[in-house]
Amino acid sequence: MDAKPVIELAGLEVRFGERTILDNLCGSLSGRAIGLLGPNGAGKSTLINTLMGFYHPYRGTARIFGYDIRSQIRQVRNRIGYMPENESFISGMNAVSFVRFMAELAGLPPEAALERAHEALFYVGLGEARYRKLEEYSLGMKQLAKLAQAIAHGPKLLILDEPTNGLDPPARQRMIRLIRDVRERDDLHLILCSHLLRDVEECCEEVLILKQGRIVEYCNLEEERRSNRRFLEMEADGDKEAFAEGVRKLGCECALAGERRIKTVLSEGVEIRDLYRLAAERGVRIRRLNYKRDSLEDIFLKAMENGHGSL
Amino acid sequence: MAVYKRTYQGYEGRLTPGWSRFLIITRYAYARVFDSKFLLTFLVSCCVWPAICAAIIYFPHNAGAMALLHPSARNLIPIDGNFFLRYMVWQGSLAFLLAAFVSPGLISSDLRNNALPLYFCRPFSRAEYVLGKMAVVVILLSAITWIPGLLLFGLEAVLEGSAWFWDNLWMAKGIFLGSWIWILVLSLLGLALSAWVRWKLAAAALLFAVFFVAAGFGQAVNNILRTDYGGLINLVELIRTIWAGLFRIKLESGLTEFDAWEALLGLCAFCLYLLARKVKAYEVVRS
Amino acid sequence: MNGSGADRIIFEDVSKFYGEVLGVNRVQLSIPPGITTLVGPNGSGKTTLMNLMTGLVQPSRGRVSVLGISPDEPERLFRKAGYCTQFDSFPKGLTGYQFLYLFLRLHAKGRTEAEQLTWKALERVGMVEAAHRRIAAYSKGMRQRVKLAQAICHQPPVLVLDEPLNGLDPMARAETIALLRTLASEGSHVIISSHILHEVDRISDCVILLTNGYVVAEGQIQAVRGEMQHEHPMQVLVRCSNPGLLAARLFEQDHVAEIKMHKDRQGLLVATRDGERFYDLLNQLVLEGAVDVESVAPADDDVHSVYEYLIGSDGGAT
Repeated sequence: MDAKPVIELAGLEVRFGERTILDNLCGSLSGRAIGLLGPNGAGKSTLINTLMGFYHPYRGTARIFGYDIRSQIRQVRNRIGYMPENESFISGMNAVSFVRFMAELAGLPPEAALERAHEALFYVGLGEARYRKLEEYSLGMKQLAKLAQAIAHGPKLLILDEPTNGLDPPARQRMIRLIRDVRERDDLHLILCSHLLRDVEECCEEVLILKQGRIVEYCNLEEERRSNRRFLEMEADGDKEAFAEGVRKLGCECALAGERRIKTVLSEGVEIRDLYRLAAERGVRIRRLNYKRDSLEDIFLKAMENGHGSL
Repeated sequence: MAVYKRTYQGYEGRLTPGWSRFLIITRYAYARVFDSKFLLTFLVSCCVWPAICAAIIYFPHNAGAMALLHPSARNLIPIDGNFFLRYMVWQGSLAFLLAAFVSPGLISSDLRNNALPLYFCRPFSRAEYVLGKMAVVVILLSAITWIPGLLLFGLEAVLEGSAWFWDNLWMAKGIFLGSWIWILVLSLLGLALSAWVRWKLAAAALLFAVFFVAAGFGQAVNNILRTDYGGLINLVELIRTIWAGLFRIKLESGLTEFDAWEALLGLCAFCLYLLARKVKAYEVVRS
Repeated sequence: MNGSGADRIIFEDVSKFYGEVLGVNRVQLSIPPGITTLVGPNGSGKTTLMNLMTGLVQPSRGRVSVLGISPDEPERLFRKAGYCTQFDSFPKGLTGYQFLYLFLRLHAKGRTEAEQLTWKALERVGMVEAAHRRIAAYSKGMRQRVKLAQAICHQPPVLVLDEPLNGLDPMARAETIALLRTLASEGSHVIISSHILHEVDRISDCVILLTNGYVVAEGQIQAVRGEMQHEHPMQVLVRCSNPGLLAARLFEQDHVAEIKMHKDRQGLLVATRDGERFYDLLNQLVLEGAVDVESVAPADDDVHSVYEYLIGSDGGAT
């Protein structure tokens, strides 16, 4: 695990005219994959844009890999790859020219840029289509081209804004797999900004939740998963109410969540076998059983209710 | 035997020098610009007038050719300020058409397709972006204005001798400065319009409008108010004044050279301001 | 479910071609009330089906019947259907309130009634405060909610929503899902399309899978999965202390098709043709003390897996 922080926020405050969009953000993030969550208007895009130097902070600052965004933004941008949420391309070019152009702008010499452009396009899965003009691409292909231009120049920090937007299920799978593969590299960090909590859960270890310009929750999913092994989640056929009753009688907390899930906390002395015995007695068939702390969704909804907070 | 697994790899090689990166934009733009056959034909046709001028310069120095002409026809066309002024007017007009063809699409397509964040998330500044786009127009316009102009001057100097060269160096200065102010105005205006108007055709039309409608307007103001200051918005008038001044030709119109320079430089500054407003990674929308 | 057409959306051998281009081919469907989700790659015919249901296009062949009304009678049909497109366009210059109000007036509602229904719809989607601001100034999520409001404001019994959760943040998603459930429980037909398969699992009563203009599966997910068990045995991941022993006991059963040892040798991936019997056996083994189970998780009991088996990576990027 990296000891050196990737992103340090030092009282970062950003205003548009009179409105304060980001309010006194403080903290330090060092995970390989960092998720950025929050409702619409919470300031996620503004935070990303500020880290890339598109907006000037009103007060405070932030550091990426130790470089200050106020005074050393060029060094910061040298190490960043960005995949924007909205459609972003240059008309009149095919994917190869586009990725090559972007790589050259990032400083690569022309020959190296061409090589890496093809490598990046192969990696994301754009085959023959790379020789067609970008205007003709489907949405999924445009997303892949955007990802290719973000990684071609070998950045140290990859910023992905809604990478699975509009993709159909196989393309989403491929994108998630790519992101997880990219994350496996030791020298590459990732910021994933998405509304789909599942995606963030699958890809990220640390999660930062913003609301109204403030940090309301910071959570380390790795630790969550490793912590207390007594939390269980089950799915079962049969009389779930009766089952839950029985579990409570054993001395464990138990609650029904949603249409099919049963959550329980095993207390001392109670084993999984006891649950199965109970199930057999009540005529319930257990279909799924695993250790689960709060899912990211629970964490998120709780953070929204709790309101303001800081790291 | 080996099995190679393709995976993502970082880049550790050398980087190109930072100052030269704006030219990358220029290079790629040229690759597309020269796809157009129309443009290539146009560029070739821009060489016609300089070629004719070269012939006019050369003929009096060729005894054989002179012998063919009637004595009174010799020395008909003196190579003086007037000669180069007419060269500038002709090539300057062609430069205007070239700028109107090339500049409208330069920035508008990037804005329409939201490409600016991709530029600026790299170690690339807004100034470099504008410089790179400007270079596209500037290089093309230079190739048809002061470069052939100075070559013509050089040709005459070689044929006439160093005395002529030193006596008429002010003409070379006129060609150089006169071309550059014109190039600056055309490129900045073209880029500014390209940044503010989404559609290529509309931007080109607007460029024409800025010149000719403003010219007409300026004339009207002059006539109605019986002044010469209407000329300040008449770009054609302004550049004419400057060129006439540079080539030491007396003009009847009332604008001073200084006024004209001021007005044009002011226009350039205004265009730079317009560009600064529009060329940004992100727009802030006030709700 | 009874077969009468009055409470269903029926497609009888429907084909739709756009010139030579295929929209849908020979579709046979009978959609009950509740939440039905259309799933499939881009270009598979989802939008065509939705357009056919709302009467925006006519079938090239076959018959469509929405609650007994045919799209030949647009006056009656449009009253019964509400449509929310996937595209993000709105008439220029309107506020959210005006957009809904004008729409309702077009439905021949009187002034007061239109006003009431507008506020009701805005309340349901949570857009009351922003109602008098221009739509052009809305964020993506707000525009999505206004579109949804427009689809529900005239209280139609049939709602056709093309990717209604697109661009919504997690809270808005949860709220919209709750709204759709409420509408479904009131007896409406809610037809939605979505790419987010785990959400489809959670909220749909019924799923229709499409690819290349054909319907490849329809019905409740569990039922569909059950039907497929023979070609695609159900896969269950069991993590336990003694995988070898468990495997030996499982192999004795005839319904177990395949057992794979997990990479870390702490679990098994079991493929079985009869899920019920498998679970019964597993439960019994645990009770006997033969194995110490750490977790049990069906690996492919959801829309996602059904999608993979039936549609695969068709229509992905080349």
